[in-house]
Amino acid sequence: MKRRTPMLLCAAATTVALFGTAACSGSDVKSSSSAGSGTLTIQGDAGNPTLVENFNPFASTALHGQFLMYEPLEIPSPIDGTYTPFLATGYKFTNPTTLVYTLRPNVKWSDGQAFSANDVTFTFNLLKKFPALDTRGIWAQVASVSGAGNTFTVTFKQPNVPFAAQVAQVPIVAEHAWSSVADPVKYTDTKPVVTGPFTLDTFAPTQYKLKKNPNYWQADKVTPSEVAFPAQASNQATNQLDVTSGKFDWAYTFIPDVKNTYVNRDSAHNTYWFPPGGTIGLFLNLTKAPYDNVSFRKGVSESLNRTTIAQKAVNGYLDQASMSGLILPNLQKWLDPSIPNSGNITQSASQAQQDFAAAGYHLTGGKLIGSNGKQATMTIVMPGNFSDWVAAAKEVATELGQVGIKVSLDEPQYAQYSTATQGGTFDAAMGGFAGSGDPYTDFNNGLNSSFAAAVKTPTVNNFQRFKDPSVDQALGALAAATDPSAQRNATFALEQVMYNQVPVVLLYYGGSWGLFRDNHFTGWPSAQNPYTLPTNYTNAMLVVATRLQSAS
Amino acid sequence: MRYILRKVALFVITLWAAITLNFALPRLMPGSPVDAALAKIASTGQAITNTQRHAIEVQLGVPHSNVFSQYGQYWKNIFTLNFGRSYSFPTETVTHTIGKALPWTIVLVGSTTIIAFIVGTLLGVYAGWRRGKAGDSAVTIGATFFGAFPPFWLGLLLLYLLAFRFGVFPLKGGYNEGATPSLTWPFVRDAIVHSILPAATLAITTLSGWVFGMRNNMINTLGEDYVTFAEANGLRSRTVALLYAARNALLPNVTAFGLSLGAVVGGSVLVEGVFSYPGLGNLLYIAVSNHDFPLMQALFLVITVSMLVAIFIVDLLYVRLDPRVRR
Repeated sequence: MKRRTPMLLCAAATTVALFGTAACSGSDVKSSSSAGSGTLTIQGDAGNPTLVENFNPFASTALHGQFLMYEPLEIPSPIDGTYTPFLATGYKFTNPTTLVYTLRPNVKWSDGQAFSANDVTFTFNLLKKFPALDTRGIWAQVASVSGAGNTFTVTFKQPNVPFAAQVAQVPIVAEHAWSSVADPVKYTDTKPVVTGPFTLDTFAPTQYKLKKNPNYWQADKVTPSEVAFPAQASNQATNQLDVTSGKFDWAYTFIPDVKNTYVNRDSAHNTYWFPPGGTIGLFLNLTKAPYDNVSFRKGVSESLNRTTIAQKAVNGYLDQASMSGLILPNLQKWLDPSIPNSGNITQSASQAQQDFAAAGYHLTGGKLIGSNGKQATMTIVMPGNFSDWVAAAKEVATELGQVGIKVSLDEPQYAQYSTATQGGTFDAAMGGFAGSGDPYTDFNNGLNSSFAAAVKTPTVNNFQRFKDPSVDQALGALAAATDPSAQRNATFALEQVMYNQVPVVLLYYGGSWGLFRDNHFTGWPSAQNPYTLPTNYTNAMLVVATRLQSAS
Repeated sequence: MRYILRKVALFVITLWAAITLNFALPRLMPGSPVDAALAKIASTGQAITNTQRHAIEVQLGVPHSNVFSQYGQYWKNIFTLNFGRSYSFPTETVTHTIGKALPWTIVLVGSTTIIAFIVGTLLGVYAGWRRGKAGDSAVTIGATFFGAFPPFWLGLLLLYLLAFRFGVFPLKGGYNEGATPSLTWPFVRDAIVHSILPAATLAITTLSGWVFGMRNNMINTLGEDYVTFAEANGLRSRTVALLYAARNALLPNVTAFGLSLGAVVGGSVLVEGVFSYPGLGNLLYIAVSNHDFPLMQALFLVITVSMLVAIFIVDLLYVRLDPRVRR
């Protein structure tokens, strides 16, 4: 998805981008020799107005460099859930409520002390003691943890096999460094003691640098000798200029017409990869008529030309979304083969009118009139500065207008949008669905009845308020399943509900905007080698940094 | 004396009203700091969950006490100059955050305001004196042309041409990446180079206001009898223009100048944004978009107080400049 900026600056950015397209193509880029082949330059955090030093891995305002210093047990790929092991060498469920990790031997903290199971137990108990640190909600699911020798055991309150992904990603801190910290919530951690590939070198208000950790357990796999994080500009237009100037080895920014504005500036080295990272959908309020009628929702879904919508919203960089609820091709291996056309819906006015008729709505004089004699109406709400959502909603409004529904758009600030959606007082809303790389997490967040709070009681998850006992049953089965075929069957059942009940009208895939230069380092994630998403603000950074090769 | 006392009383009442408004306005904004933090996560494409919402709420420590006790606390904070910690930069005190940004804005916006005032006023005097002639047309048309540019647009244009295309100036920031602010010559030189584009943008777009104000006042004053009398006496035209006409024509511009100086600490949100300048305008934008009440209150307080102080000083100065107000 796009990094958002105020509309005013966006408009200005477009103006400049137009100049850019016309003027950029002829000029060549000076190769940034100042960086040296040993330095990996990553477009860093937004420094507004300047960076504030904080590498506390549990703080919401921590700088992204912490992802290259603190290691979790394992990192699941947000694409398909494949694990890359770090402080653990593997895990197994001895039964559906007991998860046992084998910890990596001979790991040292950057201050020379040995890493042990005590550090892992200490970290999890820290999250228990300070719930503000527990952003993954570990202790809502976990009953107890214990460490002994080279194993770390997690006991769940109830079977929840997929939750291992959350447990695995908790960054592990050193007991000897953190036990003396009085308030870890406010702790700024300016001298991180870590197990990861890099340690903190220098910090300045506009850039910080990490240097290679000589004690790192797989130091031979780490090519860059240092990593520089220059702060991001506070507005999108300046950022786009900064990125196209070629100073970053790894940037993450939405750029219009990327071939001309970015790749062609140095076509020998500049590459991009925009894989799907989430699904954007039209969420209909299921507590309101006629949206509570499945035939009406199907009619809406069939009235839409999703290819056009994806074209308008994300420049066609990404495709229409599958109504199976899975992000394809990322999760292809979970796709129920009995779902027609991989769940891709083709626009069909005649099919839509049949479904509308089943819901009691008939097209009369260009208007879709219900049994109460009134025209079907819909107000779609979305944050006004999420420009791709707005573009998609405009196209949805046009297409639904053609089948006789009167659609109006409401584009408030995010705050009003979140009040309306969380409180369930909206008609229809644009929103995000899925993107964790794990079908259970995606379907659970999006469809679990336990989240479907009463109207006016806020909920972030399942805000469309879908309730279906068969979904909860399938989720329960999936949570408890350790056997691949049982997992597949439960996932198929969820896909069928998604496809047939249309709890959300999924529209198009939201992108992940990775921009790379390979003159210093190669081995970036790509369509040919999709080992993780190109997000340079998540723990995917650790997976990428330990795979890079020197270009020379 | 009664004039001054009246002004002091007015100043105190306005100050109270402004400070109270500062407290009320941010709280009337829809949404909460927690939602603003969630919006940031949502906008990166990550799915947000109830768990995250809860953890962020606890992390920020958003107040749950009632509005009146918050108001009492707010006044206490003002007198002790202790504004607590912001939600955007929870590891720093608000005073520290503002202290880091303040000098940048004062130097950049302050110096461009003074330069624009001096140059603009002189051009206005010239245009007014040579009214209807070629020099007047050149100044008037030029000022209209540049004054019509929206500052952020001119900023982007300069940025694109001079920084990106030709690489003459740096693209962003107040100083080089990796540099630590210090009062050494290399750093100051670096900071000056970085400030040229934003300063030019601000100066060019604010110049026209001074030009037109001064030109109109000049033309009015030049119509006065005492100017005709001075001319009839055969005084040199420069003496008439500068000492007779301009001195009186300057008065309204001085008021406006005082107000602009007061507005300096507000920074320039859009121009600082375009150039990623580490000043108060940028900080203000962050505070508002994060629903950061502690930071917003402190910023608005600094802005209102300096504005009111500037008005107060101008009022007092007027006693000297214009004997008529003393009555």
